Amino acid sequence: MAQESNRNLFEEAYGLFNRIGESDFEYVYRGYFNHNITKKILILADNSIAKVTDASQATLQKRIYYIMVEGLQNITHHQEEIANDSNFDKYPGIFAIQKDGGRYFISTGNIVANDKIDALKSKLDIINSLDQNELKKFHREILASGSISDKGGAGLGLIEMSRKSGNKLLYSFEKLDNEFTYFYLQTMLPTDENFGTVNPDDSDEHNTLDSVKLLHREMNAENLQLYFNGFFNQDNLLSLLAIIKSRPNMPLTTIKISNVMVEMLQNIIKHGAKSSDESVGVPGVFFLGQTGNETILTSGNIINNESVEIISQRLDFVNGMSKEDLSDYYDDVLLDFDSTDAKRTGLGFTDLRIKSDRPLKYEFQDVEDGRKFYLLQTAVKTQK
Amino acid sequence: MEKLIIEETEDTPEIILDPEEGKFKISKISVPENAVDFYHPVLEWIKNYAEEPNIQTVFDFDLEYVNTASSKQVIQIILLLQKVAEKGNVKVNWYYESIDEDMKALGARYKKLVTVPFDLVEIE
Repeated sequence: MAQESNRNLFEEAYGLFNRIGESDFEYVYRGYFNHNITKKILILADNSIAKVTDASQATLQKRIYYIMVEGLQNITHHQEEIANDSNFDKYPGIFAIQKDGGRYFISTGNIVANDKIDALKSKLDIINSLDQNELKKFHREILASGSISDKGGAGLGLIEMSRKSGNKLLYSFEKLDNEFTYFYLQTMLPTDENFGTVNPDDSDEHNTLDSVKLLHREMNAENLQLYFNGFFNQDNLLSLLAIIKSRPNMPLTTIKISNVMVEMLQNIIKHGAKSSDESVGVPGVFFLGQTGNETILTSGNIINNESVEIISQRLDFVNGMSKEDLSDYYDDVLLDFDSTDAKRTGLGFTDLRIKSDRPLKYEFQDVEDGRKFYLLQTAVKTQK
Repeated sequence: MEKLIIEETEDTPEIILDPEEGKFKISKISVPENAVDFYHPVLEWIKNYAEEPNIQTVFDFDLEYVNTASSKQVIQIILLLQKVAEKGNVKVNWYYESIDEDMKALGARYKKLVTVPFDLVEIE
């Protein structure tokens, strides 16, 4: 069953990679949220936004940051509201930041108790019925009336999201069982006025929210905790590491995953085909998921045709060795300081194979301009 | 000899090479993109230090993450410490957290490959 689900990931990866533009990205985190994770997600997103916006868009960058904070706080707030944590394990929440051309989308999805839906919905409908001036007034009224004492229950955060984005809020409820419903919320920020506004009554506008819901469903089905589609550089590698490190309760597995992740992503950064703006990084996708007792790490990026042979040779080489031989080979390479043999398999793949639970899985897919989409997958046994 | 102090960054370790204080330590995280450039001054420093080392040199590695590019630089440091051992007493301590099998395995690998006294030290 595990094999089958990985296969799906290989099939879907290129479609996802290809659906975004060159300086676009979509980052999705699914699972448990805590203060640390929230902080690291913000750093990851903010760094990436800084790479693709110029100084004149500083205000936009601040607003996006602000809305991300509100969204993430909404999730942790709802998480705290539901006393029994096991419901959160059963129905993990999601946070997504996407840049699609001239639009940024910030989306959240989390469970709420069914009996809270009506109140939430009416709050959102009131907010969406108000223009910017009325929102300002409404904000002041709520502050003055002091009804914020019930822990943000008055919807100040929602009002601020609508104000900062200058847009209506898209939302949707998906019933899960007799107790809980997934509550999805999306805010859109245009990079300039040409990209317009959101009309919640227009069903076409819901496409962007529907796509996040679909992603969430797929990530639930594959048990993916992290989906990263954008450009890789050393900065976001460090942020991704920090996110992994902030997940609770799995210290040993976390170390292993981090080690494997560093090698996989630095391999992309070093050898992957760059985007036309090299300073941004190397375009690629990365997934982290859980199947049975294994953590599965999958990466995908574009390579030139001439790299195909050398990469497959190297991967076949390390896959063909026993763990003992791999260890001896590692020593050889470690002590080989003057090898000019560029064809020699390096420490990266050797180390990945040593740390991976099973042979390194790979695949090359044809893409339009005669280059290849290179998929690599490793598996780390989950240990408590 | 002038000491060499390099402050830690998000992806490079803290380095303290201070003969006067008798402190030699590489700690925290080492996952730079370009490990060769980062470790170049460190290797140069130890090369010079090997000419006229302290009577006793205790060298501590206390690393949390090491990418493979750095692991190749670390072995060069340890091999240079073998040089230092020709003129002085050298001991290497390799610290690893008890749960960190990978860091323990890397230390064991180095220990096997070198002749300099090399201790694997488990910390809680």
